[in-house]
Amino acid sequence: MNELLEAVRLVAAPDVVIAIIASAIYGLVVGSLPGLSATMATALLVPVTFWLSPIAAIATIITASAMAIFSGDIPGCLLRIPGTPASAAYTDEAYAMTRKGQPEVALGAGLWFSAIGGIVGTLSLVLMAPLLAEMALSFSTFEYFWLAFLGLMCATLVARSSPIKAIASMLLGLLIACIGMENPAGTPRFTFGLTDLLGGIEPIPALVGVFAVSEVMRAMVTAEPPKLPHRKFGSILAGQWKLTKTYQWPMWRGNFIGVIIGVLPGAGADMAAWVSYAMSKKFSKTPELFGTGHPEGLVEAGASNNASLASGWVPSLLFGIPGDTITAIAIGVLYMKGLNPGPTLFTENARSMYALYLIFIIANIIMIPLGIVMIRIASKVLRAPRASIMPVILLLCAVGAYATGNNLFSVLLVGLFGILGFVMDRNGYPVAALVLGIVMGTMVEQNFITSLIKSDGDVMPFFERPVSAVLAAMTIGALLWPLGVWIWNRTGGRRLPAQGAAE
Amino acid sequence: MQLSDRVTGGVLVILGGLAAWSGSRLPAVPGQDVGPAAFPMLIGSGLVICGALIALGIGRSFEVPEEDATEAAAPRFHGLRALIPPALLLFYMLASEPLGFLLTAAIIVLIGAVALGARLTLAVPLALAAPALVHLAFYKLLRVPLPDGVLPAPW
Repeated sequence: MNELLEAVRLVAAPDVVIAIIASAIYGLVVGSLPGLSATMATALLVPVTFWLSPIAAIATIITASAMAIFSGDIPGCLLRIPGTPASAAYTDEAYAMTRKGQPEVALGAGLWFSAIGGIVGTLSLVLMAPLLAEMALSFSTFEYFWLAFLGLMCATLVARSSPIKAIASMLLGLLIACIGMENPAGTPRFTFGLTDLLGGIEPIPALVGVFAVSEVMRAMVTAEPPKLPHRKFGSILAGQWKLTKTYQWPMWRGNFIGVIIGVLPGAGADMAAWVSYAMSKKFSKTPELFGTGHPEGLVEAGASNNASLASGWVPSLLFGIPGDTITAIAIGVLYMKGLNPGPTLFTENARSMYALYLIFIIANIIMIPLGIVMIRIASKVLRAPRASIMPVILLLCAVGAYATGNNLFSVLLVGLFGILGFVMDRNGYPVAALVLGIVMGTMVEQNFITSLIKSDGDVMPFFERPVSAVLAAMTIGALLWPLGVWIWNRTGGRRLPAQGAAE
Repeated sequence: MQLSDRVTGGVLVILGGLAAWSGSRLPAVPGQDVGPAAFPMLIGSGLVICGALIALGIGRSFEVPEEDATEAAAPRFHGLRALIPPALLLFYMLASEPLGFLLTAAIIVLIGAVALGARLTLAVPLALAAPALVHLAFYKLLRVPLPDGVLPAPW
């Protein structure tokens, strides 16, 4: 109890309160601009967190990402352009509702069920994390290897792209992580004689390049999105209680699926939204209404993507294995602030953990009033010409990359990763898998090589311990999943409903 | 920038092959069977396999074609405009120390805005205001040592 009071005191500190409010506004605005994703909003925040206290730094990341995932629904609903990839699953549905003259219902559903999903996800984090922490204390390098590998495999189960291309992206990320001398033997690898490469590729310049610079590059070659017509909205929350009661069961299913997908290392909010939308359609009593402006799928997928956001912190906090690209950034910030992820975080630093839970709850509660304001002024915010936003984003990329190490080489890296991300995205290679490969490469290798040395080059011990056997089975399942779907489609003829997940 | 799967798959095969080959030449740790070479070789072989599968068109059935018609009518060298942002970052790397942050940033914002089709009435005020604000935030608040160059900031 003392710990909880201490946590309240930590969160009520003026710098934390200011950080929460400022990052909430920032997250809402950036998330609502088409092309600027939640991951990018978070990546650009990192240089700012250098300067904040540990709790305030975590608060900015949590608040900004939660807000950005919600406000990605706004342009999706009004313009049929998803603001973040996590909204893409139900953009068509929301836009169909707007055309039917119910934009306030669609946006309200996005807001209300995002907040509910976020709170359910947080509660699952509160319940699950300490239980899993007990278990994690007995983990050895074998289990850590499988966990990290499972995370990488889950990252390749990206919606709507070829699984082989996703695996190739992931391997490319791992190869990039090999650069430098951060390997078990300390041998410089692939440095091409450049001293700047000895320390390896930092994840932040890679993230900023892949998610932000490539977006500015895309803006250069695509037409400007249409301007939002000014419209008056009716009451935004009016119909939501009725929706909650009508679609209670889909809502809980969405929350549940979101939590499960979030806990899986490597799988994040966009996958949760796709799976939940497909699930909702499959189990609906009226599947024929989907795509015509039916709120059921919105309810389920909207709850799901925000639920996964909070539960994605479970593997990050316990094992240092990111649940998605946003927590990949958060892990870097945690290390920087001396809150090194691991099971002991929950015993030795319980008040910081309670503070983290509180921030999650607060962020999801203030999302409702701030979100309503954002929806009302969205037509003004979205009116800002792209030509004035993108150059500033580019400038922030340069300064942000420079600030991570006061090193001009990072600026070049950001540019190179921008090109890589742009080309990969154009050709159907999912960039999130690349990023997770880069972030987790060192960890996978470390645990893999250490395990091999411990077992004298034998592979059997990787499968002998009970937990590692289960994790191994899950990993191999994730690897073979696309093959199974493919064979099923070939032989059975009937399309699998879970196709949305593996497609 | 839309390349065929044969090209991207082929690039991956070559890259993977090179990684595995140069990985195998890394010095081993004396007395250990597995050293720094194991991981790059593993990844390199994986990339070779994936690249070959992609080049052969396996896994295409999972892809959803993008309904992106906005580019179809673009003139020939339009695609090269995508290289403007990385070029501006390269310019930042080379110029920020001699020219100073404010001047470099102003040039970047001006070129970026004009390339995106902004009128000068928007681009010029933006190029004046944005660098100053960014400098204030990063130099004053975040204490990032941005270079002064020929035009030091007045604060």
